[in-house]
Amino acid sequence: MNRTASTTNSAAEIASVLVVVQASFSLVAGLSAIPFAIVEPGFRVLAVVTILLSAGMFWLARNLRRGRRWAWRWLVTLEIASLAMTALLSLLPIGTVRGPVPVLVNLLIPLAVLVLLAAAKSDARRAA
Amino acid sequence: MYDIATDHASALSAALITLVFGFGFVLGLRFLAARRIAWAVRVTQPYDAAPSITKLAAALMLLSGGLHLALVPGHEGITGMLFIVDGLGFIGLGIAAFFTNWWRRPAVLWLVATIVAYIVWVIAGWETPDQVGIACKLIELVALGLLMRLANPTRRSWPRRAWRATAFPLMACITTLGIWVGGLAHPDALHAHAGALLQPVADVATPEQQVAAARLLADTRASIARYQDPAAAIAAGFKPGPVSSADPLRHFQNAANANAILDPNRPQALVYAQTTHGLQLIGAMYQMTRAGQWGPDPGGPLTQWHQHEGICFSPFGFEFSFETPFWTCPVGSTSITTPPMLHVWIIDNGKNGPFAADLDKTVQRQLTGRS
Repeated sequence: MNRTASTTNSAAEIASVLVVVQASFSLVAGLSAIPFAIVEPGFRVLAVVTILLSAGMFWLARNLRRGRRWAWRWLVTLEIASLAMTALLSLLPIGTVRGPVPVLVNLLIPLAVLVLLAAAKSDARRAA
Repeated sequence: MYDIATDHASALSAALITLVFGFGFVLGLRFLAARRIAWAVRVTQPYDAAPSITKLAAALMLLSGGLHLALVPGHEGITGMLFIVDGLGFIGLGIAAFFTNWWRRPAVLWLVATIVAYIVWVIAGWETPDQVGIACKLIELVALGLLMRLANPTRRSWPRRAWRATAFPLMACITTLGIWVGGLAHPDALHAHAGALLQPVADVATPEQQVAAARLLADTRASIARYQDPAAAIAAGFKPGPVSSADPLRHFQNAANANAILDPNRPQALVYAQTTHGLQLIGAMYQMTRAGQWGPDPGGPLTQWHQHEGICFSPFGFEFSFETPFWTCPVGSTSITTPPMLHVWIIDNGKNGPFAADLDKTVQRQLTGRS
């Protein structure tokens, strides 16, 4: 409550926290593929790519908090791609989105990040 | 793999009610404050002065509190008591966020203690991880992340900076791992193994069901005998599935049979084992068209269908891993749930029997040299 609004009241700050949550889940997904990668060579590549993506998201979240415009652009691209992919997969009869957890993780959080990024941009414009 | 437990379903309604009530409460307060009602003005001022990040963290803690209280009726004994304490604690801290200076540290401790307690309960088998519980932990993890951002470190030494950078991902990893271990160590009766959900059936087969199961086995064996040679199967329209270094069994699928329902003359797939002498026909697989649509089970508990769920499937070959409890898969793979399937093993499948979801490990080792 006693923090100054300038450091904590920004949409970018909240968006960066949600991106860190997403990055942490990506990190776990990448690490969890490693045992399968022992017998499935394809998953070695997927595990490494996922861990690298996760590291990239941590970095983007950090730079979003510092007000870097390129981090904002990369995150918008990533979140739109993530949402589009989830929407596409949910149309297929393969049970990709089933229950509250996938809705929260794969739809609501990316959507919230996009809304917050849009709000952060309008905040920045007003400040300018 | 993670469903919604029947006694947890009410918590989803409680979450929606909490959100609507909270929103309505804030609107009502603003309405009263605009009319200069003294107590409403006193309550609204600190709320309006709080930063958005505090408001969101408080809202998530109130939501978690509401969820915990809604879950109390389905939990007896110590668990129910802890849910009451936890729920009231979250509501108290959620309100304290707007009126006190000291709320942040207790809130962090409360969130961490709640998440750790859930992991302990799940690993000990006192609670089955389901989507409501996991969604609740997700809400708490996000609240924890927000509270950690609110910290205002006075000393910026490198160990503190490293701890601040790694604490949250570490907590997320521990939570995921704990739920996973608990789910795999204590699967419920309908989960044959990780990633397979069994059709609910009666405990004992009637004599009629035993006869029907034997007939299905005999009819299937007679029908697919013509496909001992894989070339004959390919000529009949069965397409070999990709070779997997992880799975010594190969499924040959026939898309033309997709709409047939438990028809021994038109099975959806043939199953071959990769032996040292080449492919050996070991069974057939019947499959329905949609996930959740259980097929006819003439043999009752003897012919129990199963569907695979929570699988991260990679289109770059027949490769898979398990999705995390937070429903995430490695990049390049996607979570899938297959339509229900029923295997009919035409070889002696040991103690698992002719309709088991999996080939008996000993039989598989004898056939393929791998388990």
